[in-house]
Amino acid sequence: MLGDARKAQEVLQATLRSANGETLSDPFWLFRDARWRCLETSEHGLQAEQVDFQEHDLSPSAPAQIERLDVNQLAIWISAAPEPQRTALALFYLDEFNHREILSLAELKIGELSRLLANGRRQFQAWLNTTVPQKEAK
Amino acid sequence: MKVVRLSRRQRLLANCAPISEERMNDRAMRAAVFSARRSGEFANQQSFDRAMAALVQSVPIPPEIGEWFSSENLVPRSKWKWKMAQNPAVLAVAIALAVIAGVFVIQFLEHRHDFPGAEAARKLLMVAASTRSVLLDPVRTDAGALGDLFFMKHQLEHYDVPPEFADFRTLGCRVFDDDEGHRVAQIWVIEKGMQFFIFPAERNAKTGAALSFSGRRYVEQEGWTGVVQERNGVCFMAALHGREKDLAPYVSKTKE
Repeated sequence: MLGDARKAQEVLQATLRSANGETLSDPFWLFRDARWRCLETSEHGLQAEQVDFQEHDLSPSAPAQIERLDVNQLAIWISAAPEPQRTALALFYLDEFNHREILSLAELKIGELSRLLANGRRQFQAWLNTTVPQKEAK
Repeated sequence: MKVVRLSRRQRLLANCAPISEERMNDRAMRAAVFSARRSGEFANQQSFDRAMAALVQSVPIPPEIGEWFSSENLVPRSKWKWKMAQNPAVLAVAIALAVIAGVFVIQFLEHRHDFPGAEAARKLLMVAASTRSVLLDPVRTDAGALGDLFFMKHQLEHYDVPPEFADFRTLGCRVFDDDEGHRVAQIWVIEKGMQFFIFPAERNAKTGAALSFSGRRYVEQEGWTGVVQERNGVCFMAALHGREKDLAPYVSKTKE
């Protein structure tokens, strides 16, 4: 969400400090609070430029291209995505929630989540094709 | 690449298809994924998502944070969800179990006051409901006098009408064999269209001894109510079309 491990750790610790049993009444309270703190924090830092991402069809060689990535590259790419796409991608690839839980946490409708994920994949594929060309990945 | 036609809703869901199978706990999602699996495009999407998730999993987590996360259940999941209860298969099983339980409860309530010979008494109440006066031999006398008739004419020993019913005037009587070949005496009396049945008490299958019971027991069948008592291996049942309260005044006149 933030593309910065130190900031992320600060946000998480702030969330844990303010928990005080809140997780009992809402099992997702921790994630909601952490998400809002991340959004708040990112508003104070450097803002990513608004650019129109290119979109490419998903390639069968995408897994090989992704394998060659550094995890920080992925974190920076996701943190640069506009809201609410950033939240949708972060929650989805965390692989801890089903789609209904993501809809609730990100306050989205199924059509919106579907579009954000589909566009996110195609945009990431386009970025992958530039960063790790398919020939190189093979 | 194989093209599969999906509905708009299925396309939306397929785009959000969870990476792990264990997150696929929604029927609509399972159906969408099942349909989409036949397309190459969806296969690419799943490979892409799995590779991304694997990369995310490789994010190093500071030890103190990892320790906290391992001690907490971050996403508590209830094992039973209302959604699951709405599944037609679960609903059908639940209804079937409820019906079976209901049948058991009804059977239990019906038979909790059962006694030896209750089943035979119920069958005789059905006979009472279907009997027409023309089926009986017309006999106008006191019911108590018919015991001698049954003994003299049909060799039925102890087929006596108890004293509390002995003074009732009769319209007719007959002796017949029931389904199991037992001799049954039937008497129709004027009082409230009551019918009396005298029949052998149920017997122990091994020893052949009559299974006796004390006092009077009520049985009901098809709107008829009978009160049964056993004496000397023979049961006597007074039956009328009505309920237990209609029979009660006659029973309370007991001359025991």
